[in-house]
Amino acid sequence: MAVINVDSRGSACPGPVTDLVKAYKRANNGDTIELLATDPGIKADAKAWCDRTGNELLGIEENNGEYKVKILVKSKK
Amino acid sequence: MMLFGKIIILNFNVVLVIKMENGSFNIIMFSGTADKLIPLGVLTQTAANMGVPVRIFVTGWAMTVFKKDGPKNANRISKEFEDVAPMLMKGLQDMKAPSWYDMLKSAKEIGDVKIYACSLMSEALKLKSLQDFDPIVDDIIGAASFMQMSAGGQVIFI
Repeated sequence: MAVINVDSRGSACPGPVTDLVKAYKRANNGDTIELLATDPGIKADAKAWCDRTGNELLGIEENNGEYKVKILVKSKK
Repeated sequence: MMLFGKIIILNFNVVLVIKMENGSFNIIMFSGTADKLIPLGVLTQTAANMGVPVRIFVTGWAMTVFKKDGPKNANRISKEFEDVAPMLMKGLQDMKAPSWYDMLKSAKEIGDVKIYACSLMSEALKLKSLQDFDPIVDDIIGAASFMQMSAGGQVIFI
């Protein structure tokens, strides 16, 4: 049940989702990925990625142009 | 005539069913200019992010940028967009956006992405073997192979 922190600030689309996928590859079910990003596309893209892969978007906090995306990993085989 | 029409509709339905099962994203990369290579990079990396298999068939004007030592010389812009291109290119540079080539490399690292060079164009350009291409290219194949692997998936022509 680890928390995996990913700092994708300054990276533009589609970089943040790639960083998310890289973290996901080494994650286990039950882990939470916390992704920091400044690309505004991440709000919709994190949801699209979760819908596609079957992982759970726990929430997105927005603070001064910075987004903190929390994802619960649950689709690892 | 009626019967013929029905057969066509039936085939159309069959194609749609296969399309959903295949789920691949296939790109015929014809243009060799930066304004087309950048979306190639973005779309490929995005598909890889989403777990969608990507097959790229390099042909036409894109051949020269995929040959050995080709990618670093791919700075051309389509003539009709040359007035707006410098502004866009500078914007991307300021953002430190990765190059189309780096995006393709990232995509190959994380996903199921294959890049193929067209055998007809390879021959026309005297590019005899895979060693004549950039290492990002996986193989030289004919159009029939690409048709076969992309059948039922999405195919776009850039």
